[in-house]
Formats: sequence, structure tokens, C-alpha cells
Amino acid sequence: MADEASQPLLKFTGHRHLTTRLILSTLTGRPIKISQIRSSSPTHPGLAPPEVNLLRLLDSITNGSTTEFSMTGTTLVYRPGLITGSAEGLGASGGVIRHVLGKECGMRGVSWWLIPLCILAPFAKSQVNVVFYGEGVVTSATPSGDVSVDSVRTAILPIYKSFGIDRNIELRVLKRSCAAKAGAEGGEVQLVFGHQVRLPKTLHLLNPGRVKRIRGVAYAVGVSGSNNARMIDTARGVLNAFVPDTYIFSDVSSAPLISNKDKTNPSIKRKAGIGFGISLVAESSTGCLYSADLASPPEGGTPPEDIGKQCAYQLLEVISQGGCASKVAASTMLILMAMGSEDVGRLQMGRDVVGSEEVVQLGRDLVAFGASSWGLRDVMGEKGDGSEGIVVSVVGRGVGNVGRKVA
Amino acid sequence: MAPTLGKRKRITREQFEQPSRSPSPSPSLESDHSNRDDMQDIFRRAFEARFKPLDAEPKKQKITQEPESGKEELDGESDWSGISSEDDVEVVECTSARLAGDRASKAEMRAFMSSKPPFSTHQIHPQSTKPKKVEGDRDDPSETLHLKNDLALQRLLRDSHLLSSASVSASSGISTPALSLTGSQRHRSTDLHLLTLGAKSSVHTQKNMPMAHRKGIIAKAKQREDKRRAEARENGVILEKAVKVKKYMREREKGVGGPGVGRFRGGTLSLSKNDLRDITRGGGSGRGKEKEKRGRR
Repeated sequence: MADEASQPLLKFTGHRHLTTRLILSTLTGRPIKISQIRSSSPTHPGLAPPEVNLLRLLDSITNGSTTEFSMTGTTLVYRPGLITGSAEGLGASGGVIRHVLGKECGMRGVSWWLIPLCILAPFAKSQVNVVFYGEGVVTSATPSGDVSVDSVRTAILPIYKSFGIDRNIELRVLKRSCAAKAGAEGGEVQLVFGHQVRLPKTLHLLNPGRVKRIRGVAYAVGVSGSNNARMIDTARGVLNAFVPDTYIFSDVSSAPLISNKDKTNPSIKRKAGIGFGISLVAESSTGCLYSADLASPPEGGTPPEDIGKQCAYQLLEVISQGGCASKVAASTMLILMAMGSEDVGRLQMGRDVVGSEEVVQLGRDLVAFGASSWGLRDVMGEKGDGSEGIVVSVVGRGVGNVGRKVA
Repeated sequence: MAPTLGKRKRITREQFEQPSRSPSPSPSLESDHSNRDDMQDIFRRAFEARFKPLDAEPKKQKITQEPESGKEELDGESDWSGISSEDDVEVVECTSARLAGDRASKAEMRAFMSSKPPFSTHQIHPQSTKPKKVEGDRDDPSETLHLKNDLALQRLLRDSHLLSSASVSASSGISTPALSLTGSQRHRSTDLHLLTLGAKSSVHTQKNMPMAHRKGIIAKAKQREDKRRAEARENGVILEKAVKVKKYMREREKGVGGPGVGRFRGGTLSLSKNDLRDITRGGGSGRGKEKEKRGRR
């Protein structure tokens, strides 16, 4: 490549934080080399199937990106291209990219793909319209820690509004599914992200406010809707004492049907991805969002009351961490701030959130990609001991969307 | 934070009980208050004897009463022995929190459960609040006058370029142009007004002209527009979308004695696929009749 002489490969090691590194590489246009990916693992060295799939997704929404693997898959060189979105003629048909997640990707929830894709989407040349389908699409929360699609829609996507990105954004759940043991789920999700900007607005969020309302979605896939009612009842029992304005909506859907892989009778289908779960979102008076997610485990055997109660407690825990960004949303907010105009944006975050591994590593990676390092200071609140949190000051890169010309 | 909010009564009871048992500085404060009240009363009587009687001060009373009522409550609390049991206050957890009317409104549900992200500023008000008409404005004569003047001013602004051109053309004789328009200026002003009200074309556009003239005018206009668009495209400026004028195609009148179906050309009657379908399908169903109504093809 021509630009390799001017821009040497950024070198990283390990399989952790692969997603953030790939996003940052695509946004900044710096080629990266990641080595020693699970090189010590005797059974599963190299990239995991979901990670390879993510690279395929990046390839389909960008133009001119190249990926090279080593023989064992332990080393990866990624040279990013221009983010084109779902442009006609570049993999999209009818303005929609249909991205398949195979059975082997079922260990991660579809939010694992959606959240990075949403970060890239505002910087695309044309709108991003991707349908995820296939046996590996899990719309619910997963035991691996991925949030549900509902949380992405109600807790992550509203964040973009504060960056001036709010038009024509949709996340449709076409088929719901829960995590299954065998990794055969078969959900379907469509993301439409039609608001492309040159630069996201500079963000100043210093006041987390007080939680004023709690909303949520309880979903049951292929099981009785009474599970929803039971989850909602216990969750409200915990939360109503704190916030009377608590509503949890119920969504009952039938199980997706997938092929049985039976050679004698190939047309036979079976139900897949059954289960139930709940997603809760608390909104503060200043518009900060805290979310919690829980779904029934693939092996089953958990009553819905436990799920509802645990999810409510999880939400309370997230709220207790404080700040204007929860752990789930922190990386999205910080990356968008770093990609903003050359101005100092400020964000108050709870100590536990700033100190989490993802956020610390994100800060380091941003520095590696040439962004200026963050400024951290304690919040001097009523107590004056800095226990309220930390204000993170992020200087934007000021480059923004290269694919978008000023009209 | 919030945890205390729900069970305020239960929790504060114990706290209330403590100060009532232990001697606190409040009694002295109370006596102080009462002393001061008495003093004021004396002064007040003296004042009223000489001057007019004073009217009551509600604010002052409130301040003096507040601690008193609190004290009464405390006294009542301490006097009442309560249900005699050694246990602490029993906390009843109300888990089935289904109050009346706590169902979310349908609009809210639709907003939250739709595929769009629920933006926080998107508030749903079930009761549509119509702005109330202000009655006072209508009666006010000055308001109507203002409205009238406003309209006149708007009109003047719209026609101001006409006035200035009139002043230029008539600069030889009159130095100050009249604000009221006369003659052709008045016609032009009326025309502008009509256009703003939504007239299709100006009164002054020439209806009849030689065809070559009209063609020339149209061609020139088209050329200008094309040039503007081409320049904008080269400079990377995004313009408004070109409005395509649709040609109105009326159904062609067919000659008398011609075939009722198909088209007769070069001595052969050719039938299109649509014609064939119409013929072979045959009438009978309602749809067929509908097809026929649409006329010849």
C-alpha cells in the first residue's frame, strides 16, 4: 500500500479489546497489526469466529479495506478503507447489506456487532442499513455479557442525540431470539443509521442528575407470556420504592424456526432460541441513561422472578456507580468525543466506570492512535472528597468524517 | 437518596421518639417564643389604643405556630403508648405494586416499543394542550390597529422596489415618490400580491407570441439552469433537486372507423399482450368490468 510508508503499522498484542482497536483503526485510517492472538491457547488459537465475522462486517461497510491473517490466525493486519455504509454496488443490494452470522457466532449477542457498527455509522459516506440474520443472531442478553438489542436501542442509541446525531436512526427487531445452548438461535435485526455528520458535537455532561424514570422491556421468545408478567412484577417490586415512574413493557414473540439439518427431510424446521429476559433503562433528570440486562440462561431452570429481581438489582448497582455514562455506554461516548471537533469535551463518570478495564485500555489505545490523552480530575461536589466521580476531559481529533464533503 | 422517600413515616418515627424522651433545648426556645409573643401583644394593644387597629399578619403567625404544632405532635406521640410489643416496627414489603391507573399510556408504549430509539426529550403528553384564545386581545382597539399597520407595512416592504423604480423614472419632476401607487405601478403591486397569494402566473406574462420567440425563451431558460447546475456540480455545491415538469398526456382520440382493439399499422392489426389478456379473460367478474371502464387501450 502507498500509505504504509507514511503510516507505519500500529502494533498491538492479544485478543482483548480487538473491537475497539478495529473501530479506532477504521475511524482514524491507521493500519494496525495485532499479534499473539490467543497464541498460548492449545485448543483454540487465533481469532474466534465472531471476531472473524466482525472483520467481514467491517469489510462490507467499508471500501478498500484489507485484512491479512497469518496461517494460524494469531496475527492480523488490518488496513482500513473508507467507510461507505450501505452504498449501492459495494455489497449492498437495494440499499441493504445482509450480513449473516453463522451458528458459530451464537456465543455473542448481536449487540456485540451492533455497538461498534453504530460508532462507525455516523462517519459513513452514505447511510448504514444492515440486516443481521442467520443462526447466530441472539437478540437477548447473553451470558457472555452482551446486552440485549432493546438496551442498545433504548440506552445506547439515545446517546447519539447529545452528539447531534438523531435523525433517521432505527433498530428493528425482526425476529427475537434468546441465547441457546447449541448456538442455534436464528433471530433477525435491522439497523438503519441514516444520520451522517461531519463532526459530532462537543459534549459537556457534568451533572448526572437524579433518576426520574425507569423504563424497560420484558421479552419472552417461544415461551409463555406469563413469564414476562412475573419478571415485571418482581422488578417493579424492587424499583417502585425508589422511582414510582416505572413502566416495563412486555413483548411476547414466537420462537424463530430454523432448519433441522435433517437430510432425510430437509424441509422440517424446529424452534430455536427460546427463553425470556428483561432490559431496564433508568433515565436521569439530565438525560443520562443507566441500563441493566438479564436473560434466562441457555440451560434454563431459572424462574422469571429471579431474573426480574436480579436485573432490578443490577440496575440499582449501575445507578450507584453514578456518573453520566454507564459502563456499557462509556466506550461509545468516549470514542465519539475523541472523534469530535478540536475542542475539549467533558464527561463526568463514576470512579468504577473510569477504572474499568475497557475504559482504561480505551484511553491507552486512543493515545496509541495519535489522540491526545485525557485529562482527569475529581469532581468537587458537596462532600468535596471526589467520591462523586471523575471528570474526563477529551480533546477531539477534529478530523471527523473524511467521506463527507462540506456542501 | 431515594431509599428514604418511600418509607419516610416508618423510619422517622424512631427519630421522632428520641428527642421527645431526652431533654432538648427546645422547651427554652419555646418559652422564648411565647415571651416574645406576649411582649408583642402588649405593644400591639398600646399601639391600637392610640392609632388604628392593626390587621393580622399571616406570615408572622405561621412562623410562630410551626414549632408549636410540631411540639403538639411530639407530645401526642410520646403520650400514646402504642401497641405494646417489644418488637421493632414491622416493615411490610409491598411487592405487588400495581396501583390504579399505573398502566402506561398507549402512546407512550408505542413510542417506547417502536424501532426508533426513545429520545429523552420526546415527551408524550396524553392531553393535547390547545393554546387558549386570549379574549382580551380581540376587544382591544389598539391591537386591531397594530394588525392593520402591520399588514400595511408588509405590503409596503413588498412593493418598495416598485416605489424606488418609480422615483428613479420620475426623478426629473418629483423628488419624493408618493407612497400610494398609481397607474401601472398599482397594477404591478396587485400582481405581486396575487402571486404571493398563490396565483399560478403573473398577469403581465405575455400569453400570445410567435412560436419561435417562445421556444427561444424556453431554451434560454433551460440553458441557464443547466449551466448553473453544471457549475454547482463542478464546485461540489449541492443544489436543490430539479423539478421535472410532467407532460400531461391526454388519451389520444382515435379516429372514427378504426379498430376497437389493438393498433392498426402497415395493414396489420397488432395486438399487445394487454389486449390479448383483455380479450381472452372475458367478462363476468367484477374486476373485468372495472377494466372495461378504464377505457380503450
